[in-house]
Amino acid sequence: MEYLIHLAILFAIYATLGLSLNLVVGYTGLLSVTHAAFYGVGAYATAILLTKTGVGFFTSVIFGIVIAITISFFIGVVLSKFKGDYYALGTFGFNTIVFAVFLNWQNLTRGPLGIPGISRPEFFGIDFTNNFTFLILSLVFLSLLYFVSRFIAGSSFGRVLKAIREDETAIAVFGYHTLYFKLAIFVISAAMAAVTGSLFASYITFIDPSGFRLMESVFILAIIVLGGLANLRGSILGAFFIILLPEILRFVGFPADIAAQMRQVVYGMILILLMLYRPQGLVGEYKL
Amino acid sequence: MAIFLQLILNSIIAGSVYALVALGFNFIYGATKFFNLAHGVVAAIGGYAFFYFARILGLNIYLAVVLAIIFAGLIGYGLDKLIYLPLRKRKASNMALLVASLGAMTALQAIIAILFTSQFRTLSQNISTQKLFEVFGGVITQTQLIILLVTFLILSALALLLYKTHFGRAIRAISDDEETTRIIGINTNKIIGHVFFIGSAIAGLAGILVGFDTGIEPTMGLNLLLKGVIASIIGGVGNICGGVLGGFFLGFVENFGIWKISGEWKDAIAFALLIAFLIFRPRGIMNK
Repeated sequence: MEYLIHLAILFAIYATLGLSLNLVVGYTGLLSVTHAAFYGVGAYATAILLTKTGVGFFTSVIFGIVIAITISFFIGVVLSKFKGDYYALGTFGFNTIVFAVFLNWQNLTRGPLGIPGISRPEFFGIDFTNNFTFLILSLVFLSLLYFVSRFIAGSSFGRVLKAIREDETAIAVFGYHTLYFKLAIFVISAAMAAVTGSLFASYITFIDPSGFRLMESVFILAIIVLGGLANLRGSILGAFFIILLPEILRFVGFPADIAAQMRQVVYGMILILLMLYRPQGLVGEYKL
Repeated sequence: MAIFLQLILNSIIAGSVYALVALGFNFIYGATKFFNLAHGVVAAIGGYAFFYFARILGLNIYLAVVLAIIFAGLIGYGLDKLIYLPLRKRKASNMALLVASLGAMTALQAIIAILFTSQFRTLSQNISTQKLFEVFGGVITQTQLIILLVTFLILSALALLLYKTHFGRAIRAISDDEETTRIIGINTNKIIGHVFFIGSAIAGLAGILVGFDTGIEPTMGLNLLLKGVIASIIGGVGNICGGVLGGFFLGFVENFGIWKISGEWKDAIAFALLIAFLIFRPRGIMNK
């Protein structure tokens, strides 16, 4: 039972990450492979603030959001000039730089040692050290960000994003400054990823840089490609399957270290097979 | 002054590895116009294939090198026939190809780790007996000298192939306009298959040489790929001379960049260089 709750919390966290990435990749058609960087920024903000200062969980979340917005704004200004595969390469590069910062800025992040002893949040008299209450908290976050994403996707702003995806030149001719729109959605998505990162850090209570490398971004991308691009329910569905899949492998009975690698093989194969046979994913409305 | 000379030497050594990876990458990009992210893992496969043939089967070193190069080439050929060719036939976008190659990279890297464990291994049996050469007060090992020579050898061979043979003319025609090339009766898919074989074989060779110089591990491919891609872009993507120039340029910037700050920032410096180029000269040094 405890393990099921653990899986459910992971599912909620990855579904939230998928939602925010889908806004950029699915709705705007920008292949961003740097989501783990902002996820990590949020996680480190919470980890550092909670272990070194006395501030509460929510303050650290807001702090993480502010940092993520600042960073994503500056890198977004650069990235928004590109599209297609060059955009993907730029985000690739950015994820690697952020990972290098987590790894090498040892005074702040303790480098490869990671930061242990992050406390679970506690507010309104509810203690979230219990996994079950934490599951409820993460589900609350998931539904909150789901509605925010749905609002964005359904608004006139969201329609411009889809127009950028379909034909950037055409929408620019109509007088829309596509660069601002691309930048705005990138920043919003980064802020949402940072929130999820804070949640993750306080759940796991220990973080190190390895959780935020490029492969993690690929993993989140696999979630939304599997679930379906430009469909928010798809991201949730995708997270559900991707979290559940390794559990099926568990029953096959591989040793632990091989099972971890088998998971990577499966994720890789999923990406290949989807591109070959179902590029729009399970319920997607857009294909790469 | 001694440091300065050694830095120049180190830059040239690092640059020649990047240039070698960029050569194969650019050769493939020239014909297919998409970023083959599986290129790095093919290099790792080359290194591991050599390890298998020479250390586990105990074959003669030269025979093992040849077999490993052919094996890496066949993997590249297989990737094209099984994944990229069906995608191209379906008129998939560059982003779909990029995501599929990302999947191939993830899966193959994990498969290497399953077969050979994630342990770091060196290919040269006793590193201490390696011959050292002194050049202008700096030191260079025999392997590093070979890498440098091989890079220029491959560059000349590829230039001859591209500009002096019928096959090379066909590749350049595909690079200009694949559809017209097909219309005038050239089997473009067959030629692209051969291009994949040659490009991947070069990657395999790079993997073996890096294995002799430092060592092999399953994740080495990603690092080689990223450096190769950066070298290609700053040199001029699709242009084989540009890739070599970019490789050496990257080597110099990286090694002089860490003169004053610590060496762990190498990757961050490399990507900062990439982003700077994407902003100011997205077509690279050579391409107009």
